[in-house]
Amino acid sequence: MKITDACVYPYPNGDSSVRRMALEAQSLGFDRLVAADTPPGEFYGIEVCTGILIRGTPLKDLINRVKRERIGDAVVSAEAGDNGFNRAVITLKGVHIIRGIQSAEKNAFDHVTARMAADNRVAIDLDLSPLVSGRGITRQRAMHKFRDVLTLEQRFEFPLTISSHAHSILDMRAVREITALCSLIGMDIPGVENAFSGVDIITASPDPAVKVIR
Amino acid sequence: MSTRPPTLREKRRYLLVSVEPAGTPINQKDLYYAVSDATTSLWGDVMAAVIMPAVVAAEGRFVAIRCRRGTERELAIALSTITTCRDLRIALRTVAASGTIESLRERIRTVKTPVTEDSVPSEGTFEKKVFQLNHCDGQKVDVIEKGFKNTNRLFLTREDLEEL
Repeated sequence: MKITDACVYPYPNGDSSVRRMALEAQSLGFDRLVAADTPPGEFYGIEVCTGILIRGTPLKDLINRVKRERIGDAVVSAEAGDNGFNRAVITLKGVHIIRGIQSAEKNAFDHVTARMAADNRVAIDLDLSPLVSGRGITRQRAMHKFRDVLTLEQRFEFPLTISSHAHSILDMRAVREITALCSLIGMDIPGVENAFSGVDIITASPDPAVKVIR
Repeated sequence: MSTRPPTLREKRRYLLVSVEPAGTPINQKDLYYAVSDATTSLWGDVMAAVIMPAVVAAEGRFVAIRCRRGTERELAIALSTITTCRDLRIALRTVAASGTIESLRERIRTVKTPVTEDSVPSEGTFEKKVFQLNHCDGQKVDVIEKGFKNTNRLFLTREDLEEL
């Protein structure tokens, strides 16, 4: 199990180079980073995976983009939309993570979508940036949404990922701090550990439909 | 007014936190307002009154923050939600918790300062732009783009600057 921050934005999207983010991640207790629009590599013992975030595009364009990106080892994620959009995205082969569930509309992620996410092994991302930098109603809404997602996760057991969405090393938080922040939304330590290893689950090759036993 | 005997005093705990980015000038009063604001925003007035956070000491990039015993976890969570102090972007990393300020001072002394083997140039290029060195701490190099219009810090490593 590798402790993974499922989304960071190194330079030029942020103000820190990918090497510096890896160095910081090492001191904060991480094993792996998913860095947006960054080539893969290993820096200071931290594995850096390429992350592709598709947002603000209609479904047709998203399908085309996912087809293009499917060949590589990148972690492909799509921003959540309305319920119909999310259901369609979850069934797409090549999409690993649905992000921004806290900003989506009220019924964007329901029990049917949750079951589909579990069947297709698509993770739901818990973006901790509203918990860290949000204040007042923004943070309260995010916490409410995450609690709702966790209720569905306990029932349907779809994968979860945790991300800081850090644009700078100053936005990154230690594993211990993230665990404490997740306790605010009702996650226990085993739950947080599972979510940290969510990227392992979604990038692993799927179990074959037929198993040959000799 | 006579002081209370030790058994009747409130039990306190102290958190040692390091302020990032290194080299940031820390005003204890401003930091207290940031801590108080974060605590009240996250836990509300009732819990903030129980935690009673206070910035009691600052040494270099380390700061000792006091709270009531048993509320260290709540204070540490609140500290992780601090992103600015006045207009400066900062992050507070909790290093240790202790019952006395003196033991935290011991801890500060034991924290190793990264040794810089060779000198770092005062200027360098990264992504075809010229940057001025702002702070260097081992492998970590903070730079500011040259020119008076852009004063945003960039966080790089020495390897990044070597890409000339």
